[in-house]
Amino acid sequence: MPGNNGAEPPALWRQAFDAAEKFVAPRLESVVRTDQFAQATALGLKAQAALTHQANAVAAKLWHLVNLPAGTDVLRLRAQVGALDREVRRLTLALEQQQRSHGPDERIDDAAADQPGGGARSHPPRGRTQRPKSP
Amino acid sequence: MAVLDRIRHEVERNALRARNGIKLATGTDRPGVGQAPKDVVWRSGRCELWHYRSDKATVSPPLLIVFSLISRSYILDLTPGNSFVERLVDAGFDVYLLDWGVPDERDAQNRLEDYVDGYLPAAITRVRELSGADQVNLLGYCFGGILTLLHAAHHPDSPLRSLTVLATPIDFRHMGPLGKIFAHGGLEIDAVLDSDGNVPPHVILQGFRSLTPTAEVTRYVNLWDKLWSDDYVAAYQAMTGWSTDHIPFPGAAARETVDMLLRQNGLLNDRLTIGGDQVHLADVRVPFLTVLAERDHIVPEPATGPLIDLVGSADKHELRLAAGHIGLVVGRTAAKTTIPTIIDFLLSRSEVTR
Repeated sequence: MPGNNGAEPPALWRQAFDAAEKFVAPRLESVVRTDQFAQATALGLKAQAALTHQANAVAAKLWHLVNLPAGTDVLRLRAQVGALDREVRRLTLALEQQQRSHGPDERIDDAAADQPGGGARSHPPRGRTQRPKSP
Repeated sequence: MAVLDRIRHEVERNALRARNGIKLATGTDRPGVGQAPKDVVWRSGRCELWHYRSDKATVSPPLLIVFSLISRSYILDLTPGNSFVERLVDAGFDVYLLDWGVPDERDAQNRLEDYVDGYLPAAITRVRELSGADQVNLLGYCFGGILTLLHAAHHPDSPLRSLTVLATPIDFRHMGPLGKIFAHGGLEIDAVLDSDGNVPPHVILQGFRSLTPTAEVTRYVNLWDKLWSDDYVAAYQAMTGWSTDHIPFPGAAARETVDMLLRQNGLLNDRLTIGGDQVHLADVRVPFLTVLAERDHIVPEPATGPLIDLVGSADKHELRLAAGHIGLVVGRTAAKTTIPTIIDFLLSRSEVTR
């Protein structure tokens, strides 16, 4: 097929685009890296978050007036369930480590490991004294 | 005659463009990604440990790859023939990958210590159990590199034979507009959290897009220009699919990242706290390789360059490559330079068992 060897000069429209892109790209990249851009974007995002918060607060008050839970209440519950789930996962890892220390010869079989949460043995999530070694 | 040839050539290309355009628009003929055969050998929550099947694993200890928290790990096994994992398996390594899955509201409270002190040690233990090896070679990519560094620093007794990190950010002053918005704009992470308590993928995507504001337009122009090429379209689908396919960043880990790694620049300034302990990169003593890409626009060279001087390993090496962030693991530079160099580094610190 003609032109498939890669030596074909780019089409005129492509040359024009490349020239424009070469001119615009570095300038735009400089702009988005300025402190002013960071502050303006942060301000916009903060304003958006504040508006959402206000809207949620108003909606929550309305729902609470008729003794019903609002969306924010559900979110709080979801967060609490999430935190609980994390604690269970951490405890599971710690428990498995405990079991390991009591039965060092125990080995888990692959089938068990394929079950959700199965077979993990780990160092427990904890703070361990740092032991810097000499180089 | 030349004019007629040119017209015929353009007509042919436009016919191919139409065909490939329809394929793209309808989503048919998508290239398969992450196809290397593997088994899930351990899981906890959304986190899974994958073991890549191989009948030619001759190198010990096994290699455990730790991926980033904000994108999908199939970039390391993009397509058959263009797969970082496949090359490692072919080189005789027994390869495992720790995939974080897709976080949801249950992961919103996950802190960095959950990964560094919880999942990572559990995965290392499981790899040792399965392989029978006493140690593992650990490899971290991008944010996964940070997790592996923090783990190695916080657990000097961790059974690591070596540590390799790729495109791992250290000096967060150079991490582009998104970093500046938090560091200088005063934005708090809570302002961008989704209803599930995590940083949503679209915020992460916008952060990456802001690094190169014209790239989105250029991408479509390039696509139109080369839409006639089946190879280009296949590569475009695989790469673009991945680069727009982010996952939520657990809220608590994101908050720590902004406060400790970004605002305090903790990795560079030695102000790291994991699970209540002070952690120092100087406590990383295992044989160490850092690979950085000189054309990386996501983790630019100044962001990752200081790492080599911060770790305490006596046996430490830095590899600088003329590649981009993804080019370290995908494409020609990866195939010709990155992967062979990593393989050489690991082989020289491993044993070939048969």
